[in-house]
Amino acid sequence: MKFVDEFRDAGLGRVLAGEILASVEPGRHYKLMEVCGGHTHSIYKYGVDDLLPANVELVHGPGCPVCVIPMGRVDDGIALAHEPGVIFTCFGDMMRVPGARGTLLEAKAEGADVRMVYSPLDALRIAKANPDRETVFFAIGFETTAPSTALTLMRAKAEGVRNFSVMCNHVTIVPPLRALLESPDLRLDGFIGPGHVSTVVGARPFQFIPAQYGKPCVIAGFEPLDILQAIHMILTQLAEGRAEVENQYTRVVPFEGNGKALGVMADVFELRPHFEWRGLGFISQSGLKLSERYADLDAELRFAVPGVRVADPKACQCGEVLKGVIKPWECKVFGTACTPERPIGTCMVSSEGACAAYYNYGRFAREREVV
Amino acid sequence: MTCDDPYHCITCGDDGVQMRVVAVDEARGLALCEAAGGGRESVEIALVDAVAPGDALLVHAGTALTKVAA
Repeated sequence: MKFVDEFRDAGLGRVLAGEILASVEPGRHYKLMEVCGGHTHSIYKYGVDDLLPANVELVHGPGCPVCVIPMGRVDDGIALAHEPGVIFTCFGDMMRVPGARGTLLEAKAEGADVRMVYSPLDALRIAKANPDRETVFFAIGFETTAPSTALTLMRAKAEGVRNFSVMCNHVTIVPPLRALLESPDLRLDGFIGPGHVSTVVGARPFQFIPAQYGKPCVIAGFEPLDILQAIHMILTQLAEGRAEVENQYTRVVPFEGNGKALGVMADVFELRPHFEWRGLGFISQSGLKLSERYADLDAELRFAVPGVRVADPKACQCGEVLKGVIKPWECKVFGTACTPERPIGTCMVSSEGACAAYYNYGRFAREREVV
Repeated sequence: MTCDDPYHCITCGDDGVQMRVVAVDEARGLALCEAAGGGRESVEIALVDAVAPGDALLVHAGTALTKVAA
């Protein structure tokens, strides 16, 4: 398949690995964060880290939309799902994320009408097919899925669908990156920038990383050669004493982003003053809610949402994993009490979660031998 | 609850899928698109410039975010 096979070429991968080896300074330790969960997934699926020199360490970032949902929001969703007459719709893995009151899948087992959808448009279709019931869509994700939710809300408004509403949990990528850069317990040398978020926001929002913090940021695609090339570009910047935003993923990401997508987001959403992130706490202006014009489609205004705040389970160290302070296998419950079948923490739920990626691709066994 | 498609997994909806346009319904702002595995779905095309059958799109949660360069 075009744009896939050529970016998985093993021979080219070895050449790039050689160039990466040649560009590192012996004795210097490099800590690079891949921001996006999609990158984490690819790195472990294809064994990209096995091709890197020992002194180049990859740290997993907070860019998995399921992983950063706090328990309180899950509980709010479950409460909504139990409202009489409600059809509660969400993406598949969201159903397995544990809140303090269990999961949405368990709520479904208890009789709540919880349905998995692949897109918000599917949720709107369900609403139109069930005019005598209320359909709620539990919206999650970064700037990649927010435009989709925005278009669906615009469509619902234009078509006058009254029995559809959205519980908005959309977040933006820049505020948590800034929070990580301000974090004293994490020293990073550079960032592998999120590929698909950048198709929407463009490269410009990441310019604060080199400008204010002096770190390189290279926006990368998701195939193994994309990631290797991005790592090489970061290391080259460091070797030459440069810090810039570069775009490795030019076949998909325009520097300016997608103006239409940004336009519909600006129309439908507004920033919340604060939003809680799992493990990262409250981050200012990092979450989206429905704007005044769409308030009549806001599930949080239409229903009584408890809005409780729940502390993460003590045993779970998703917060440290999301900040890149510890590796997944260093968590006390990794692979024992917390597995993809029975996750305690969100990072073990989604295939993009760092813990699930380690677990599913067997990284934990090798890492433990090293310890 | 993982996706069987070998190229991607859309379990949390936030994973880009490269799809090819099969047919365009301009009146409804939708395109019928096909993924590498052969699966077809309706995709929102309001956010990309005019698309035609054969175009490659990057799709997130049922919405095309960009055309993939030919």
